[in-house]
Amino acid sequence: MTGGRSSPFAEPIKHAILILGALVVILPFYVMVSYSFKSPREIETNTGGFFGAQQEMVNEYCVKLGNPREACLETPVAFNYSEAFKKAPLLRYLLNGVVVTASIFLIQVIIALPCAYALSKLRFWGRDFVFALVLFCLLIPVHAIALPIYIMLAKVGLTNSYAALVIPWTISVFGIFLMRQFFMTVPDDLIDAARMDGMTEFSIIWKVMLPTAIPALLAFAIFSVVAHWNDYFWPRIAITGNRDLYTPPLGLREFKGGADGSIWGPMMATATIIVTPLIVAFLLAQTRFIEGITLTGMK
Amino acid sequence: MTARAPTHRTHRAGYWFVAPAIVLMVVILIVPILIAALLSFTDYSLGNPEISWVGFENYDRMVNRSTYTRMITATATYVLVVVPASILLGLGAALLINSVKRFNDLYKTIYFLPVMAALLAMAIVWEFSLHPSLGIVNKTLASGCGTAAESVLSFGWLPWVDAQASWYARGCERGFPLCFGNKDYAIWTICFIGIWQAFGFNMVLYLAGLTSVSRELYHAAEIDGATSAWDRFRLVTWPMLGPTTVFVVTITTIRSFQVFDTVEAITLGGPSKSTFVMMYAIYEKAIQQNLIGMGSAITVVFLTFVLLLTLGQRYLVERRVHYS
Amino acid sequence: MKRILSMAAGAVLMTSPALAVDIEVGYPYSHLFDVTYEKIMKDFKKAHPDINVKFRATYEHYEDGTNTILREAVSGNLPDVTMQGLNRQQILVEKGIAKSLEPFIAKEADFEKDGYHKAMLSLSTFDNKVYGLPFSVSLPVGYYNMELMKKAGVTKLPTTWKEVIATCKTLRAGGVQNPVFWGWNITGNWFVQALLWSQDTPIVKNGKANFDGPAGRVALETMKSIFRGCGMKNLSWKDALASFSAGQVAMMFWSTSALGAIERAKGDFELRTSEFPGIDGPPKGLPAGGNAALLVSTSKDPARLDAAWKFLKFITSGVGAAAVAETTGYMPPNKAANEIILADFYKRNPNKETAVRQLPLLRDWLAYPGDKGLAVTQVIYDAIEGIVVGDKDDMKELQQELVEEVNDLLPKGS
Repeated sequence: MTGGRSSPFAEPIKHAILILGALVVILPFYVMVSYSFKSPREIETNTGGFFGAQQEMVNEYCVKLGNPREACLETPVAFNYSEAFKKAPLLRYLLNGVVVTASIFLIQVIIALPCAYALSKLRFWGRDFVFALVLFCLLIPVHAIALPIYIMLAKVGLTNSYAALVIPWTISVFGIFLMRQFFMTVPDDLIDAARMDGMTEFSIIWKVMLPTAIPALLAFAIFSVVAHWNDYFWPRIAITGNRDLYTPPLGLREFKGGADGSIWGPMMATATIIVTPLIVAFLLAQTRFIEGITLTGMK
Repeated sequence: MTARAPTHRTHRAGYWFVAPAIVLMVVILIVPILIAALLSFTDYSLGNPEISWVGFENYDRMVNRSTYTRMITATATYVLVVVPASILLGLGAALLINSVKRFNDLYKTIYFLPVMAALLAMAIVWEFSLHPSLGIVNKTLASGCGTAAESVLSFGWLPWVDAQASWYARGCERGFPLCFGNKDYAIWTICFIGIWQAFGFNMVLYLAGLTSVSRELYHAAEIDGATSAWDRFRLVTWPMLGPTTVFVVTITTIRSFQVFDTVEAITLGGPSKSTFVMMYAIYEKAIQQNLIGMGSAITVVFLTFVLLLTLGQRYLVERRVHYS
Repeated sequence: MKRILSMAAGAVLMTSPALAVDIEVGYPYSHLFDVTYEKIMKDFKKAHPDINVKFRATYEHYEDGTNTILREAVSGNLPDVTMQGLNRQQILVEKGIAKSLEPFIAKEADFEKDGYHKAMLSLSTFDNKVYGLPFSVSLPVGYYNMELMKKAGVTKLPTTWKEVIATCKTLRAGGVQNPVFWGWNITGNWFVQALLWSQDTPIVKNGKANFDGPAGRVALETMKSIFRGCGMKNLSWKDALASFSAGQVAMMFWSTSALGAIERAKGDFELRTSEFPGIDGPPKGLPAGGNAALLVSTSKDPARLDAAWKFLKFITSGVGAAAVAETTGYMPPNKAANEIILADFYKRNPNKETAVRQLPLLRDWLAYPGDKGLAVTQVIYDAIEGIVVGDKDDMKELQQELVEEVNDLLPKGS
């Protein structure tokens, strides 16, 4: 892109700037992972390097239960990570995260794909109005409608269930918007040919548009999964009784302090654990993701 | 010009396809907003047996109380700072990453990390990192006191600056300014975290946009005499990124109006309501203080604002955008 | 034959153990009380093997607890027992969600003797009926970093606010950059109520703001003089507690509830707690912090309600009380527990005893009546914050503004 003559200093300078930026960006992650290794004292006083000194510390919880101090010694990293899994059923939360985000995404696709297809390729009266409605709904933030939705769910007795976690998100106007942009770049000839072959509009969506839309769907998947995996607000409102239905970020709750500060070590361990699957998934899907964005036709 | 397939069949299928989406939009999004609009004329509170109408009292309060003018200032400041900054940084990062020859993927991944992390956890980490005396940022600054770093950062090497009176020297002496406790700085710190979180997203969108700018355009421009990087950017890159920019600006603006997590985790709207953004105000009134009537009124005002802004933006920007 | 069979069946039923009853309980502050409940449950299971207790997702803090109960009331899935902040009981009583405990108390043989004295029960008494049993109570105390105090040459711990300000100046001269943190931002305007109760004045009276007189003025002026005289920084309480634990703050005025966590996280300095200073002498009263157990069950099954009552009684009795004292910085308000079971414990943990010594000063943590109670709390909070950051200087003006705003939010004509 920068074809032509560029000075020999340009490249190192660019790297310097990028590295500086990367340091700022990565600072909180460094702190998060580092604190997940440290003891409370090391955290409060900010000592111990990256990994912490790993000096054995006393597990106060175990002492308070009446055990002798000597039986309650463990290294900070063992304490933090085991607390993360013990205090809250974190594995269960991670599983819930997978179930909930997968269900949400699947239903979103089933609803959004036909709608996007209709808005981009089919002509019918009211099409522009529907699209304007989609754009309007993009503006509505969840916090504003949380309570009315909660009350509606309560009236049909669906609170404290997986349904409560999934139903409000089944409509993704962002997804409709994104897929419509993409579909508008698919040449009409492809569709006309399919029609000539006698395919119904319905099967066109799933047999013709879907395969070409995989990259864009991947982009949509990343946005949707990240957003709902990390959603803290709605599950907290909707799930009040049964902790077994909590999603990953709520694992942080157990350690969030009230009257006397948070327990940082296990909290950072939890945060590290819940962000890891996303990072792994992103690394795996990275190239297809960029491809997907390109092809949604920002043209 | 091939003849189109029979149109009546196309029409009806269209209705079937949009129907589920419309039903869900209405039930899940529109109906709650209407309920909120209705409730904004009441003083309903959870647990109350009945609803009593109070007319425009809630809206009246919004106009008269200084808390609410500060709410608008906080929201406006945040949006006006974060949107341009995160777009410019995203664009800058995309241009830089696109032009270096090595480590592109590594930079891409690092810059996208903030988008993926749970904002709640990140906000907590930032809060701790910016702790006035224990946080890593201030500690690093403090450890530079009395060393070469101080002489550089206090700008004493500029002839007209008095090093002793500089912010750095004063910080060394009396403790560095509070990022979240000082009512003048808190909103900027929140903006910083917002930019940190958002620009990676925009960077990825711009990277994708850049890959679709064809090389021929650059060659053509060069032939026409555009030789410097700035010329290439101004004449080819920027116009071709038009559609991407529209998408980025729309999405970034909407998302920054909806900022909430950082405020709830750290400043709780303070100090002195300097970070009392509208989304947090809605949460505070409707859910925390259980004043659903008031929260609904703020929601209605919020939606009207955002709607007008988005319409205005689309009107102004769309006209100038280059669609190929 | 049939008669023999039915008699045999009857005999079997009569000798088989009672069917287990399930109850559900919700409590706040998981990181503080998880260990407490775990300890109590060990003994509870032995005493009542036929009651299964299921603990719900914990509340993040007292306001979250109240809001969760309100939501659950609407969606119809209330627990049987809920632990609510002392100042958040009133709203549940007003909305008819909390049930009166009088019928249960009436059936008890010797309630007073078990340590449930009047002063304690008054914290949960509304309209002359007892609605809750206080579980863990806290009082404001002063935390002192003795190392920093010695370094600046301070030998006597202050007993009035004027002495505190003087100590600040000494500390500053001795090189301590951060001499004091005063917990103005603690939940529920607790410290404002502390200054008013120190003058024996409740913050609301007969449904109206009660700080429009000299007591209110003195409270505001005292706060201003502490903040300005000591140059107190506007730290969030989380940051302040971290700073104190790290040994940077010399004096901290906060709830005794943080004692456990601070002792756990602090650096190598000697920590001493002492009585909360007063205005012209020792305080005349102090607001009680902490939470109480309320019965909110919607079940009609008498066995279930009975089981819930047994649970309520158990956790607030001697055994439960001992667990509270041993695992947290809170005090059990049960007299019998404090004077008998825990006497030795307090000798070994003198820092925890400070709050217990102040027990005679116990007063209500008042709630503001009506729906806008939490909005009132926020208004007062914002006003005090104004003093801290330097926005508000004229206390007379502030007092007038505040009284006006608060009365505007309180229900009219009560």
